[in-house]
Amino acid sequence: MTTTLPDTTSQNLRRQVSRSRATWPAWGWSLIGVIGVWLCIIAVSSGSPLQPLNQALTLAPYLVLVALGQMLVITLGPGNIDVSVGAIISMTAYVSVAISSSMGPAAGIAAATGAGVAAAACSVIAILVLRVPPIIATLATSLIVASATLLLADANRSGAAPALRDFVNARVAGIPVIAILVALVTVAVAFALRRTTFGLAVIATGQSFKAAGKAGIRVAFVTAVVYLLSGAFAGLAGALLAAFISPSTVLGTSYMLDSIAVVVIGGTLIAGGRPVPIGLWTGAMFFVLLSGLLNLVGWSVGAQNILKGVLVVLVVVISSTATKTGRSTWRRLLEGRRTSTPITKEKTHG
Amino acid sequence: MTSSTITPTLPDARTRLKVTAVHGSPALLSLIAMVVIFAVAVANQPGILSVPGLTLMLMSAVPLVLATQAQMLIMSVGDIDLGIGYLVGFVTVIAATVLQSSPLLGILILGVIVIAYAALGAIIQKRNVPSIIVTLGMSFVWLGLGLQFLPTPGGEAPAWLAAIGRWRPDWVPAPLVFILVATLLGWLIARRSRLGTRMRALGSSPATLEKLGWSLTRTRVLTYVIAAALIIAAGLMLASQTRSGDINSASNFTLMTIAAVILGGGNFSGGRALPLGATLGAVTLGLITVLLSLINLSSSLQSAAQGLIVLAVLAGRVITERAIRS
Repeated sequence: MTTTLPDTTSQNLRRQVSRSRATWPAWGWSLIGVIGVWLCIIAVSSGSPLQPLNQALTLAPYLVLVALGQMLVITLGPGNIDVSVGAIISMTAYVSVAISSSMGPAAGIAAATGAGVAAAACSVIAILVLRVPPIIATLATSLIVASATLLLADANRSGAAPALRDFVNARVAGIPVIAILVALVTVAVAFALRRTTFGLAVIATGQSFKAAGKAGIRVAFVTAVVYLLSGAFAGLAGALLAAFISPSTVLGTSYMLDSIAVVVIGGTLIAGGRPVPIGLWTGAMFFVLLSGLLNLVGWSVGAQNILKGVLVVLVVVISSTATKTGRSTWRRLLEGRRTSTPITKEKTHG
Repeated sequence: MTSSTITPTLPDARTRLKVTAVHGSPALLSLIAMVVIFAVAVANQPGILSVPGLTLMLMSAVPLVLATQAQMLIMSVGDIDLGIGYLVGFVTVIAATVLQSSPLLGILILGVIVIAYAALGAIIQKRNVPSIIVTLGMSFVWLGLGLQFLPTPGGEAPAWLAAIGRWRPDWVPAPLVFILVATLLGWLIARRSRLGTRMRALGSSPATLEKLGWSLTRTRVLTYVIAAALIIAAGLMLASQTRSGDINSASNFTLMTIAAVILGGGNFSGGRALPLGATLGAVTLGLITVLLSLINLSSSLQSAAQGLIVLAVLAGRVITERAIRS
């Protein structure tokens, strides 16, 4: 869970890693989860083994889209979290429906994304100018956005445009088009994080806010863009969900917690500085498949939530031993941290 | 505050005043905000200035104040509890179902919650995992448990709990008594007990605490246990007012309690516990809701107004802190 390790440790680590050759990827645990749940579904249900995966692919892209923004925000470092994504999704669903009924679906999607950015701009002003901690800033934004949602809900009661509806349900070679597009977006984000100056600046900011500032990275600018991106992704997801499900004032509510959970399950460090874009897919697929399996078995919503919660806690506890070194043994798991001094608990100075 | 380690002389009066202002100003600002909101409410509805009026106005703040004290303790060790909202809801569910039908089992379940929190504290300390994620995961668990026990709002709180909710002395608003007791409790734990000092030390400098020979794990576990007890108290108070159980009845508490602690001068990095500030923050947030319904603001705009007021107060806090420090 360390963001920065002392030199000797990292050398040790490199030696260990090179000895074992293949390193355990951060998203490995969630992939195991996906495969495990998938096998369970195959065992329980009859029918094509690929069918549950395909079904999950229709639902997962929306979660991945929201989680992409959340991952970027969490990568910014301790204290950074966006709790407004759920409210933004609900609002932009109405925006997209309202605009697309008069100006066409493309304009609707653009307007929804714009509305998401506008909402995020409110958070950014609060964080950078008013110096409000991000969790409170985005909470205030979500309250404001919730009001906007209620006003929009009163104003229009139309459904999504048929063209958009066809688009979100379209399939190419059996795979949902949305899944392919979101996969492309994920690749683009992953590429940007590894290869562009901006992406590296995001990661550097997350690893050490102070060092990044000293190195000449415009931390405020990076923070602003990341939150705006998170708003944009949430806005886009809202527009698409409006067509896939239908607009409602609680459309996005569950996405707030789910997006954070998916990011963490996918292996992204909650302390920041290490994004794992692929993990979003394995995390989201795991979540969607799991609820599919539990529905199949006939578990109630309550029981599903309990299992979901327990899994989130378990994954965090197990991965706390596993992700850094790529090795996780039972001994380490039982022993816990040797030294109880948290080298890592970086503080948000605010 | 302890410049005495470098120079043996005590800080002079001016420095002390400045330190007091820096430490007290955040809560002071929340106090001002509360007074303003209260004044506006009274101007709109003079009837508030009576015992029944104050009772109605402050009632909703009681569970929030208790939950905020819990959040304050957890934040003083440098953690955040994202599960408070659903846990308070779950306690109301237990109060309205099991605690009514078989009190012993109900008390047992409440005891299990405390044990679960002790385990959370131990896990967070031992495994060095982020409290945000662990408590986030637990919030799913509480939500799920609540839905299992009571899928739709309902049930009935036991008679003794309803009696607490019905207690209305003529000479003092009952909620004020509960709020004062909760604050006093928070103050005794966080500021007057040795454990409170250890909690704040754990938040600000765990290495020092360990070198002094205290167990970090035990400190964190005890913090979580006391917090759990306060959260349970918050849930019971809420159930005594609504006289029924609803898992979603307090879902906004999670973020409201964090906002209240910050509003009252707390911080995210730990090491600071201001019980009076936390109470002021919670009452301010509670009053905002009441005020907005008093002035007949359209219900759709209420949450936006709440958000803007929170931002305004926090912005004011930052500005005054900066002004005093410079």
